[in-house]
Amino acid sequence: MAKADDIVRVAEREGVKLVRVRSGAIREEQEVEALGQALLALTEEPGQRIVLSFLGVENLTSMVLGKLIQVHTRLAESGGEIRLADIHPQIYEVFRITHLDKLFKVYDHEREALASFLSDAER
Amino acid sequence: MPAGTPQTDDRGAWTEKVLPTNLSAVRKTEQEVLGRLHDLGYDEDQLFAVRLALEEALVNAMKHGNAFDPNRSVHMWYRASPERVEIRVSDEGSGFDPATVPDPTADENLERPCGRGIMLMRCYMDEVTFSPKGNEVSMVKHGHP
Repeated sequence: MAKADDIVRVAEREGVKLVRVRSGAIREEQEVEALGQALLALTEEPGQRIVLSFLGVENLTSMVLGKLIQVHTRLAESGGEIRLADIHPQIYEVFRITHLDKLFKVYDHEREALASFLSDAER
Repeated sequence: MPAGTPQTDDRGAWTEKVLPTNLSAVRKTEQEVLGRLHDLGYDEDQLFAVRLALEEALVNAMKHGNAFDPNRSVHMWYRASPERVEIRVSDEGSGFDPATVPDPTADENLERPCGRGIMLMRCYMDEVTFSPKGNEVSMVKHGHP
């Protein structure tokens, strides 16, 4: 069974959780479940802000999209949000085709997604 | 022999795979098919498309078709040439009507966690058809002209 630590690395910057995917592909059921568990664990804190970086990830499936939507929904209930970054163009196309680019804010780089959260907090 | 076993015609013979209903079998099958397409000169975008569609088809067959019943199998056939790759995936479930799957891109469905697999298959492959019963999907991706 893949562990959350095998799938993602979590850091924190000014109250924002920075989550980076370690694997180049999140396809195996165990990897998808581990990613989901890692993200859902972060949602236990109300209002959590998360940046999820897909740097180096070249493949994913609709199972991963489902997990991201669960995380989005859970966060939205408590005033939190997940923003995405570093998405390979082929994968971004999957988000665009499924219209999930309307549900998630997507940034070119992790630092831009982080800056967007910090900028929002200053308002 | 499953009802969906395709007939050999002038496009060549089919390779048949029988997969256990276990998601770990998906990646190995993908690697075999994609390795074949890579050798035939398919480009990265084409390989990405076939990988995604094949994975969605196999996962759907195991999850929704066979309901993860380990006593059921997924049958798959494929054949490839530089011009086209054809893939057929059949499960042992009771089937479904693809027309009843809600449009996942509709605003009211955007937050539904499921229902995107069929849509992705249709977007990334050039032809996608389901058997009347709905427990078998056939997909075609064109290669080089």
